[in-house]
Amino acid sequence: MHWTHLLLELILMPLMAFFIGMGMVLTLRKIGAKLQRRIGPPFFQPLYDILKLHAKETQSSHGLIHEIGIVMAIGGYVAAETLLPVPGMNGIAQQGGLITLAYMTMIPSLGLALGVGQCANPNGSIGISRALTAMLAYDVPFILVVFGTAYAAQSTNLVEIIAAQQSDGIASWGLVQNPLLALAGLLALQGMLGKQPFEIYVAPAEIATGPMVEMGGKFLGGLFIMQCFQLYTAGVLYTSLFLGGGENWLTFLVKIFAVVSIPMAIAYLFPRFRTEDLVRFFWKWPTFLALLGLAFVLH
Amino acid sequence: MGIRDIPVRQAPSPHKSTNPLGRVFDEFLRFCQSRSLFILHYCTGCGAIELPPAMTSRFDMERLGIQPMVSPRQADILLVTGYVSVKTLKRVILTYEQMPAPKYVIGICSCTVNGGMYWQSYATAKKLNDYLPVDLYIAGCMPRPEAVIAGMRDLRRNIERGTANAWRDYFLRYDHYLGNQQRLFGETWQTPVDVIAEAKHYNLLGKETQGEHTARLARHQKPLEALTLNLELREQPTLLK
Amino acid sequence: MNALDLLFLLSGATLLCALLFGRTRWAAPLLLLGYAAQFVALLQTNALFGEPISLSWSLVVLDQPMHWRYDALSWFFALITLGAGFLSTGYGSGVWMRDYERAGHSAGVLHTALAANVFSMVLLVGAEDFLSLFLGWELLNWATFFLMALRGGIAARAALRYLGYAFTGGMAILGAMALLYAQAGSLEFQPIRESLPQMSDGQLWVLLALLGSGFGIKMGLLPFHLWQAPAYAETPGPGSAFFSAVSARMGLYAMLVFFVGMVGLARLVQMEIPYTFLNGRDLLAWIAVFTIIFPTYTALQQQDARYLLAWHGIGQGGYMVLGVLVGTAEGSAGGLLHIFNHAITQVALLMAVFAVLYRTGTTDLNRLGGLVARMPLTFLTLLFGIISLAGLPPMAGFVSKLLVYRALLFEGMPLLFVGAIIGTLGTILSVYKLIHNIFLGQLRLEHESVQEAPLSMLIPMLSLSLLIFLAGYFPGPTLSWVAAVQAQLGLPVVNYHLGGVYDAHGGFNMIWIVSVLLAGFGIGALVFFGLGGPSKRVHQLDNYAGGHFLYAENRYQYSDHFYAGLMHLIGPWYRGSFQWLERALGSIVDFLAHFTNGFYGIAQPLLWSLAAVLGIAVWVF
Repeated sequence: MHWTHLLLELILMPLMAFFIGMGMVLTLRKIGAKLQRRIGPPFFQPLYDILKLHAKETQSSHGLIHEIGIVMAIGGYVAAETLLPVPGMNGIAQQGGLITLAYMTMIPSLGLALGVGQCANPNGSIGISRALTAMLAYDVPFILVVFGTAYAAQSTNLVEIIAAQQSDGIASWGLVQNPLLALAGLLALQGMLGKQPFEIYVAPAEIATGPMVEMGGKFLGGLFIMQCFQLYTAGVLYTSLFLGGGENWLTFLVKIFAVVSIPMAIAYLFPRFRTEDLVRFFWKWPTFLALLGLAFVLH
Repeated sequence: MGIRDIPVRQAPSPHKSTNPLGRVFDEFLRFCQSRSLFILHYCTGCGAIELPPAMTSRFDMERLGIQPMVSPRQADILLVTGYVSVKTLKRVILTYEQMPAPKYVIGICSCTVNGGMYWQSYATAKKLNDYLPVDLYIAGCMPRPEAVIAGMRDLRRNIERGTANAWRDYFLRYDHYLGNQQRLFGETWQTPVDVIAEAKHYNLLGKETQGEHTARLARHQKPLEALTLNLELREQPTLLK
Repeated sequence: MNALDLLFLLSGATLLCALLFGRTRWAAPLLLLGYAAQFVALLQTNALFGEPISLSWSLVVLDQPMHWRYDALSWFFALITLGAGFLSTGYGSGVWMRDYERAGHSAGVLHTALAANVFSMVLLVGAEDFLSLFLGWELLNWATFFLMALRGGIAARAALRYLGYAFTGGMAILGAMALLYAQAGSLEFQPIRESLPQMSDGQLWVLLALLGSGFGIKMGLLPFHLWQAPAYAETPGPGSAFFSAVSARMGLYAMLVFFVGMVGLARLVQMEIPYTFLNGRDLLAWIAVFTIIFPTYTALQQQDARYLLAWHGIGQGGYMVLGVLVGTAEGSAGGLLHIFNHAITQVALLMAVFAVLYRTGTTDLNRLGGLVARMPLTFLTLLFGIISLAGLPPMAGFVSKLLVYRALLFEGMPLLFVGAIIGTLGTILSVYKLIHNIFLGQLRLEHESVQEAPLSMLIPMLSLSLLIFLAGYFPGPTLSWVAAVQAQLGLPVVNYHLGGVYDAHGGFNMIWIVSVLLAGFGIGALVFFGLGGPSKRVHQLDNYAGGHFLYAENRYQYSDHFYAGLMHLIGPWYRGSFQWLERALGSIVDFLAHFTNGFYGIAQPLLWSLAAVLGIAVWVF
C-alpha cells in the first residue's frame, strides 16, 4: 500500500469515527427522549455542546495532569480507531490485533483517571474507583468473548475475523455461530457503555457525576468527544466480532447504530445497581453465558 | 430605584473572545452557545418544583438544547429558584464564581426580584442582582413552566445577539458586588475563588474591578495561588527516619 | 584466563572492595566501577549469541566436580543482576546514603550485603551441576538474609521468617539432589539430563514437588509467597529495589534450568494426574495463575506503597512461569521477556516510592497526596512504571504480557487466560490507587514545601523510565536475547523483528502501535489546546463540594478503603484465609522435614556426609 494512501486512512478513520460517534450520541439521546415521550434534542445538538464547551471564555484547570489526562483520553481513542477496520479501510489493524485494541481502549480511561485524580475532588476519585471496579466486572465476560471469537477464527487479526464472517452470508456471522458469546458480549457492552443499571460511577445525585465533577469547559468538551469515540468503538467492535463487520458503508452504519441503540433502549427498565451487585452480576450471568459459549467453541 | 433597574444594565461587549475560534467565528459560536445551555438549578426555594415539568415530557426543555447538570463547572446557567437566605446566598455566590464564563444567572420567582413574601425577613437577601449579575428574572409566585421556557427563549435570544454579558459585569465591577456581599456577610467574607486574579488572567480587569472593598478583602485574604509544578532541584533535609 | 574467569574475579573483587572500603567516601564510585567492569566482562563472554563459556578452574568435592559455565540463560539473568546492582548502588550512592548514615546506619554493611548478593547470583546462574547450584543457592540465601535484616525491627522479623522458608527450601532441594544422585550417579547436569527420561513418573513427581517447592519458595510461588512482601518492602531503598528486580527470579532461573531445560515441557505434559484432567504442566500453570491472582488482590488491599509493590512483584512472577509453561514460541518469549521488563519496571517503581519516602518520611498511602506538583519527575517515573506494570501500551510490560495472552489464546487455554486477565485488571486497579494516593488529589499542608528528589536518585529513575518506554517501543533487542535463551533451553524460538513478532495468527508491531498512539496524543493536544480557550490554574480548594466552603485544615481527599464496593464483595473471601494458609504451611513443612530426615537417615547415609561437605565447602569458599 502506498504510504499516502495509508496516511489518508489514518486521518480519515478517527475523523469519521468522531462524526459517526456524534450521530450515535444524538441517536441515544433521541431514543431516551422518545422513551420518555419527549421530542429530544435537535440534530446538531452534540456538535453545539462540544463547540460551546470549547468556546468557554474562562476555564479552570487543576494543573498540568488535569490537562494531559484529557489529551490522553482523546488521543488514546484517536489511536484506537486506526486499529478498527471499517469497510474499505484497514488502517493499521494488521499491526495490532484484537487484544492490542482491547488494551488500547484502556489508555483513554487511564488518562481520564489521572486527570480526575489531579482535580483533588473526592467525588471524582470515588467515581474513578467505581468505574475501575466496574471495568474489572464487565471485562471478565468481555475478555472471554474476545477469547472465544479469536479462538474460533484462530486469529487475533480483526480483518481476518471479519473476512471469515463475510464468507457465507448471515450463516457465518458470529451471532449465528456463537449466539451465547454474542449475548454475553451484549451484556458486557451495557456495562462498558455505562448505561443503566451500571452507571453508579456517574451517580449524579450522589457523587455529582463522579469523574466529571470538576470538568468544565474544554475539559468536559474533551470528554464529550471521548464519549463519541467510545460509542463508535463499542459499536464497531461488536459488529466486527458478531455481525460480520461491514460489507459496505450502508449495512455497516445500520449495524453499528443498531448495536449501540440496544443498551439505550433497555436502559430505563432498570434501577441502578450498587458496585458490589454490579460485580456480582457480571461475574455470574454474563460470565456463565460466555463460558458456556466458549465450551461450544472449544468443543 | 425604579422598575427600569430590574433588567440588569447590559454592558456593551468591548472585549474580544479569548477563544482562538471565537475571534473568527464569533457569531457561529454564539449560536452554538445559545443552542446548548446546561442549567445548574440551585433549588433554593419553592420555584424548583416548576422545573421538572419544564424538563420532562410535558414541555421538554431538551428540544431547546437545555439540560440539567450537576456541578457548577459543567453549567452555563445558574437558576436561583426562590428566596435566598443569607446562608444560602454564600453558597450561591461560591457556586456562581466556580462556573466557567460565559455564565448566566436567572432569578426565578418574585423572591429573587425583591424578596417577595419574605420582604420583612431579617435572614433573606432581597435583591439577587445586588450580589450577582442577574441576566434575567422570571417573576411569579411561582412562574409556570411556560413562563420558565419563555424566559429561557429570551436568554437564548440575548446570547445569540451577544447582549447576555452580565457575567462580564461581575469581573468589571467586582468591587461593587463584593461591597454588597461584605455588607451582608461581614468584613471577613472570602470565597476560595480568586476573582481578581481571574479577571487579570482573562483581561477582564475594569476600572471598578478593584476598589475599597477588594482592598479590605486583600487585608485578610488567604493566598489562593494555584499549585505549580516545581522542577527546581534544591537541597532539602530528608524527613526519613 | 577467559572472560568468565574475569567476571567471577571482578565480582569477588567488588565484594571485597565493599567489605574493605564500604565505609569510606569513595565506596560508591568504586563499587559502581566494579559493577560496570563486571558488566563489561559479561559482555566479553559473548555467551548470549556465541558459544557457552566455561570457567577455567573447577573444584572437586567428594569425587563430585563443581564447575561453572555461562550460556544464554546465565547471561540473561546475569545481565539483569548486574544492571539492578549498578542502578541500585547508583540510586543509593549520593545524598540517600549520606542521610542513611546520619540516621545511624552503616553504609559499609549495606554495600557489602548488596555486593554479596550480586556475587552469589553471578555464581548461581553459572552453575553447571547441582552441587555448585546448591552452593550458590545457600550463599544467596545468606546474602539475602543479611541485606533484609539490616534495618532491624520489622525488617529483622521478616528476614527471620524468610530464613525459615529458605531453610525448608534448601532441605527440599537437598532431598531432590539425593534422589537425583541415586538415579544418575552424579550431580552434574549432563548425566542427570540423560538419566531423566528413564525415571518413572512417580520419581519425577517427587522431584517436581521437592524442587518445585524449593525453587518456588525463592520465587514466591503460591502457596510459599507469604514471606516475600514484608521482607522486600522493609529492606532499605536500594536493597529493596534490587531484590524486587532479580532476587526472586533466581528461583525462576533454577526452575527454568531443571523443568524446562532438563525435564522438558513435553515430559511434564505426559505426567497425568490420575482422576483429573490435569497434567504436570497444567498443575504448574494453575499454580502460576493463582500466584498472579491472589498476591495481586492482596496488593490491592495494602495501605503502604512499598508493600503494595512488593505484593505485585510476587504476582508478576506468575506471568513469567505461565508464559514459559505454555511453551509455544510466543508464550515462552513472553514469559522470559517479562523477567527483564518486570525487572526494569519494578526497580523504577520502588525507586520512585523510596524517593517519596526520602522526601516525606512516609509511604503510607493515607498520609500522602497531591505530590505531583512537588515531585513531578518522580511522578513521571511512577507513571511510566505503573503503565508498564499494568501491562498497558506503550510501555515494556505490555509487550511481554501481550505475548503471554496470545500464546494462551492460540493454545486454547481460556481459563488460564481469564486468570491472567483478572490479574492484570486487579493490577490496574491497584496501581491507580498507588499513583492517586501519592501524587494526585489534595496536597497536604505538611508537604507544602517538599522538593523534587535529589539528582543522584533521579538519574537512575529517569534512565529506567526511558528504558521502559524504549523497551516497549522497540522490543526487538530484548526479544533477540529472549530468542537466544529459548534456543538454549530447547524451546521453540520466537520469530521476532524490531517492532514485535511475526506469527501465523497475525503478529503485532509495536513501532506502529506506539507511533500511532503518540500521534493520537498529538491530535488530542491539538484539539484540546487549539480548539479550547485558555485555562487558568486554580487553587486546589477552589473545588466543588456541593456549595460547601473548603479550608486547608480539612482534608478533601478520598484515599482510605479505596475500592470499597469491590471489597464489600471480595473482602470476606480473604479474611483470615492467609493466617490459615500460613499455619497449614507451617505444619506441612514440619511434617516434610521429619519425613526427609528419616529418609536421609535410612536410605542414604552417604548423603549426610555430602551435606556436611557441602556445608564446609560453603564455609571455605
